[in-house]
Amino acid sequence: MPLVAFTVGLAMVLMLRKIAARLQRRIGPPFLQPVYDIVKLYSKDTQISHGMIHEMGIIMAVGGYIAAETLLPVPGMDGLADKGGIVTLTYLLMIPQLGLALGVGQCANPNGSIGISRALTAMLAYDIPFILVVFGMSWSYGTTNLAEMIAIQQQAGMQSWGIIQMPLLALAGLMVLPAMLGKQPFEIYVAPAEIATGPMVEMGGKFMGGLFVMQCFQLYTVGVLYTTLFLGGGENWLSFLFKIFVVVAIPMSIAFMFPRYRTEDMLRLMWKWPVLVGLLGLAVVMIQV
Amino acid sequence: MSKNKTLTKKDQMQQDKAQDGQQMLVDFTRPRTNPMANVFDGLVRFCQSRSMFMLHYCTGCGAIELPPAMTSRFDMERLGIQPMVTPRQADILLITGYVSVKTLKRIILTYEQMAAPKYVIGICSCTVNGGMYWQSYATAKVLREYLPVDIYIAGCMPRPEAIIEGLQVLMDDIKTGRAENWKRYFQNYDYYLGNQQKLFGDHWQTPTDIISEARHYDLITENTLGKHTALLEKHQAPLQALEMTLQQNRERV
Repeated sequence: MPLVAFTVGLAMVLMLRKIAARLQRRIGPPFLQPVYDIVKLYSKDTQISHGMIHEMGIIMAVGGYIAAETLLPVPGMDGLADKGGIVTLTYLLMIPQLGLALGVGQCANPNGSIGISRALTAMLAYDIPFILVVFGMSWSYGTTNLAEMIAIQQQAGMQSWGIIQMPLLALAGLMVLPAMLGKQPFEIYVAPAEIATGPMVEMGGKFMGGLFVMQCFQLYTVGVLYTTLFLGGGENWLSFLFKIFVVVAIPMSIAFMFPRYRTEDMLRLMWKWPVLVGLLGLAVVMIQV
Repeated sequence: MSKNKTLTKKDQMQQDKAQDGQQMLVDFTRPRTNPMANVFDGLVRFCQSRSMFMLHYCTGCGAIELPPAMTSRFDMERLGIQPMVTPRQADILLITGYVSVKTLKRIILTYEQMAAPKYVIGICSCTVNGGMYWQSYATAKVLREYLPVDIYIAGCMPRPEAIIEGLQVLMDDIKTGRAENWKRYFQNYDYYLGNQQKLFGDHWQTPTDIISEARHYDLITENTLGKHTALLEKHQAPLQALEMTLQQNRERV
């Protein structure tokens, strides 16, 4: 499953870059550009390491997502989905950011430290509504098992999808998506022109390659998680791929409409609107049940 | 287009040989006996040529031609060229326009922090021969004397088409394995350091230990060490961590 995730993730990276290019009336990168980038980064002659923890951090960042992939059900392969459940998955999704924080910490670059402190604050901001959404969905389906959730949603076609049954929670989840992906209005922790890409500032060669791989997994994980919770999972590979690509394309399509939020504004925004909508959704779910 | 000439590495090497005879490019590439290894090397070189992250050191006027080259009119991303912001991530160092003595110090620091294989592109006439700043006392005229330059894109200023054409020449060089100028910095370090010392004074030193790096890459030649590196070793101070001054400042206020 991680291999599927990586391949699909590469295609997603390509799609995002193509969307960005089209919105700016450019042609955009060629088809295999993400592959070229990763091969190039891993084949650099100089690999500047700042020590053991720096390397471990990248391994944690990639490994956390690889572990998360095994818990995500795809059509025909449930993996550990019916054993792990969504609570374990929520824990695993925090590991990459923490691993990155460890790795960046050893680089001792002030830009990196600023970046990672902003990234962790951002995680704090989007995790509250995210947990609300996860809690509401598990309450509504009466299970934390992702495979069962899909089965419940697939009983009566589109009518039983989470997005139809619980539109408020779906909306809160959609608001959280760009922040989870670190996309445009919420990319203050990367801020290339100000703090030189923040956490990535000291990453060159294979470290940067590792982060590129991590990005592929991240896009895939977020797409599949949203599809599983709200869009009825995948009946077959075709509809599954279509759904996850649409989910990932939404935040990118609206990314360039907003200016970048400062960290405190992002925190305020995230704790106000998605939390409000999520709490309302939760109330509706609890009254219904 | 006709005004802007793109100097390829071959022209530049000929000039090098004509001007400073002691420089030479020693070829360390071992012949690979395993045919699969050649295929692998070719693949890696192809990917390297199709994915170039550039760090633009834009202190000169040529910088103004880069935004159109990157944005919707000419779109460098379709060739796999992206801007990056730190030397650790970058492959290409773009130097646009004249280089003052003070600027050159930063350029050398940046260049030495970049990860090999790395390429330097000099844009505008000023990097070739000083251009209109030829008589300036504060300008480093010939960039090639301080750093190994892979491609010069001459012109005052070169148009985005010329910049993209120059980058395509570099792509071809990388693909065919000819763009190995970064090795010259290690192989002829004494020459480059000598020119740097002439400009910055005898106490010039950078945080990067080039000689150890050259040893690591097995690129030590008879031109790596010489009287200039001996001078460097005499003056070299060990690197120290910066003092934390936050508290002191607070007291002062």
